[in-house]
Amino acid sequence: MREASSALHASDGVEVIEAGPASKVLDLLDGADVVVLVDAVRTSGGGRQPGELVRAEAGPSGLPAAIGSSLSSHGFGVADAVALAATLGRMPRVVFLGIEAAGVTTGQGLSPEVEATLPQLVARIVTESAALAEDREP
Amino acid sequence: MTHRSVEVPVIARVEGEGALHIKVEDEKITDLRLEIYEPPRFFEAFLVGRHYSEVPDVVARICGICPVAYQMSAAHGLERLFDVQLPPGTRELRRILYCGEYIESHVLHIFLLAAPDFLGYDDAIQLAADKPDIVKMALEMKRIGNDIMATIGGREIHPVSARVGGFSKAPRPKDLQAFLPRLEWALAQMPAIADLVGSIPKPPFDRPAEMVSMVHPDEYPLNEGGLASTEGKSFDSTTFEEVTKELHVEHSNALHSLMVGTDTPYFVGPLARVNLNVDRLTPVARECLPRTGLSLPEPDPFFSMAARVVETAVAIEEAIRLISAYEPPEPSMAEVTPKAGRAMWVTEAPRGILYHRYDVNEDGTIREAKIVPPTAQNFEHMEADLRQFLPGVLDRPDEELTRLCEMVVRNYDPCISCATHFLRLEIER
Repeated sequence: MREASSALHASDGVEVIEAGPASKVLDLLDGADVVVLVDAVRTSGGGRQPGELVRAEAGPSGLPAAIGSSLSSHGFGVADAVALAATLGRMPRVVFLGIEAAGVTTGQGLSPEVEATLPQLVARIVTESAALAEDREP
Repeated sequence: MTHRSVEVPVIARVEGEGALHIKVEDEKITDLRLEIYEPPRFFEAFLVGRHYSEVPDVVARICGICPVAYQMSAAHGLERLFDVQLPPGTRELRRILYCGEYIESHVLHIFLLAAPDFLGYDDAIQLAADKPDIVKMALEMKRIGNDIMATIGGREIHPVSARVGGFSKAPRPKDLQAFLPRLEWALAQMPAIADLVGSIPKPPFDRPAEMVSMVHPDEYPLNEGGLASTEGKSFDSTTFEEVTKELHVEHSNALHSLMVGTDTPYFVGPLARVNLNVDRLTPVARECLPRTGLSLPEPDPFFSMAARVVETAVAIEEAIRLISAYEPPEPSMAEVTPKAGRAMWVTEAPRGILYHRYDVNEDGTIREAKIVPPTAQNFEHMEADLRQFLPGVLDRPDEELTRLCEMVVRNYDPCISCATHFLRLEIER
């Protein structure tokens, strides 16, 4: 995110926010026109290669189920926050960009697969945000 | 021979990751495990060698919902060891900060984590679809708590201004006074919320329990006071490790707590606090108490939600009272000179007693740390509850039985990440 940040800060009307608990995500969804959510995912049962880029757009009831179930499930997860915002009619356009994690355990650093894809993700975040920002200009 | 099992690989609507394994054979429970598989985070270990001034920042990261609790237990203990004279106004400001955390944490639990079960919805999304006004109101109320924490703490998650000695920066009176209209609005919602919670049917669960909380002569305890139990025990942070003990349980990465001597479980949290501090309730909270259906003494954990409602009122009222009289501490932070020794303190986190102990070297670095979070203290009691609750509901179909078991756990609003001091992102289904 830090790498994408500097490129994004240069754009007008784009705010880069690091959100912790999902409840904070809920507040952030409220104030925005368009949101690009960036996170790691871990798709259960395989189906995705580590380092694979994921993109999805939220529909009227939230993020697609496949993405939703692969985000962290705390008391109230990111996917729940998006679904709740959708249900309350407080949804901006939400684009999800993620990387399939190789594994999430204790330890430092990224897996080689994720590390290799990171520049692609950064570039994607920047171009996606720029395109969306332009889109919503009247 | 009839075999039934309740298997919940990932308990929903609790913070952190745990699983429930229950096996029943011919109406007898043959296996019951609340398996906490979040790996331990070793916070106590990597505090060793750090300077005391780093401790509040580090321990805040143990929890995203209750960072203030960690900072307060740490700071107060170290300040007492170092004989720090806190600037006048510090304790009041800290109390307002804690009230912000209570509002945020309790409202989240009442409406998004617990209420769906009690109102018959699968989750908060369904509740929101059916009753959007209630959820919108709850989110607005929760935001007030978060905003108070951000204004005083400098940042909402993991506040940066809390320090050993006070605050790195104190807010201006007008920045806090700006919250008064929102807090008054929130207070006005409380009686109706109390009525709603009071009208919800609860599964009956009559069983004795020992409850433990802080007590204080003048106020509803948050940052200061002694400790008491409903069995008549009276102790404090300096004897906490003599009266209670932690033990390693094979199926859990969190330690469990028991009372020394009797080897019996106890529980902490809102219900314990309300039971032991009914005389310290603020006016609207006192009015809400019977409306929630709570009539003390009450050890039934299904009344935890009611207790949270009462405490939300206390937090709002205390915030209004203190903000109205707020004068910034000057200086915002006291001079601190470290001393060698043992620092111990207890504060009441939203989920219950949070104990910190630091053994400090001459140069102010930490030699050893011990942190006992409320959720870890409650685990033994959660399992005891399940064991006692289950026989009465075995006649229910599997799905309902599973949901009821999860509700027993959710009563405690467990923060599993705190209990294991770790955050893990792997989901297995």
